Amino acid sequence: MRMLVTFLRTFIIFTTLIIIMRLMGKRQIGEMQPFEFVVTLIIADLACIPMADVSIPLLYGVVSIACLFILHQILSLIEQSGRIAKRIISGKPSLVINKDGVDLLELKRNNLGVDDLIESMRAAGYFSFDDLYYAIYESNGKLSAMENPNRTEKEHSLPLLIVNDGKIESKNTELIKENKERVYAFIKAQNTTVKNVEVLTVDGNGRAYFKTKKQPFKILTYTLSEEAKW
Amino acid sequence: MVRSIISMLCVAVLLVVGAIFESRFINNQFDDFHDVLEVLYEKIDDKDATQDDVYAVQENWLNKKKNLHAFIPHTEIKEVDLWLAETVTLVRDKEWTDAISKVEVLIELSEQIPKTFRLAFENIL
Repeated sequence: MRMLVTFLRTFIIFTTLIIIMRLMGKRQIGEMQPFEFVVTLIIADLACIPMADVSIPLLYGVVSIACLFILHQILSLIEQSGRIAKRIISGKPSLVINKDGVDLLELKRNNLGVDDLIESMRAAGYFSFDDLYYAIYESNGKLSAMENPNRTEKEHSLPLLIVNDGKIESKNTELIKENKERVYAFIKAQNTTVKNVEVLTVDGNGRAYFKTKKQPFKILTYTLSEEAKW
Repeated sequence: MVRSIISMLCVAVLLVVGAIFESRFINNQFDDFHDVLEVLYEKIDDKDATQDDVYAVQENWLNKKKNLHAFIPHTEIKEVDLWLAETVTLVRDKEWTDAISKVEVLIELSEQIPKTFRLAFENIL
């Protein structure tokens, strides 16, 4: 019955990996559903180990791969059976940018940060948060975006993240030739504190995307020093 | 969807049939080997075993292991090979005490190896 033992062992590893992947959020998945990602992750090793190590019967690899096939089929069928099942197995899409701006809470729920969102946006061809009306992280980890119809034709300049979830990004602050005191003063002028700021980005034209907790985002003007233009 | 269910069921049935066959095959092979070893043990215990007796056991094992390679890790097979080879030398030199301890190990192996194939908690975890 070692074939069944191998089957059960594969089942346990597979289930554990699925749970872990779902708990990890969307960060680890690259355009695949979590269970597809898990299958891809272990199938290569299952094929390789008995292939390379001649002391292990090839049958062990074959049985484990067959077990993965069965589990994959079962999960696909369960997923197709209803929305709740799909939500449990593959997760649901997350609206991370809405009309009010970046939804930091939703990002955190998926173990993502503002910088991850910026990266995904850049990959999708958007460089400023207000370029988008809506942005959704699909359950496969891919970003889908709806462009802001009121997107203004502005002088192109790369926005830099100055405040990320209540913390000043020192490196970016130095890049824009600013100091923390000036950033604090800018935030204070908006009648709030740094801790309350979820996102502040500034581009080379001084265009600032400013979003505080539970408030819609604002587009403000940040006065940059002459040498800070980029 | 029907195709998925059918293919899944086919693979599941194949696995279950394969597991039953594997279990029976392993048990039969090792039960037989165990009986052969018991006979050898008695002969060594009576101090009338010859080198040919051990060669006969070795031959029996060689025939079995050709098929067992498909199911058992080869390191476990090698272990039996080594203990058998040592028994040959010890019986030739009439070192009965050492020879009997080697056969005892072989008997233990022939009991323990099939146990690792059982559908048991300790084998799964």
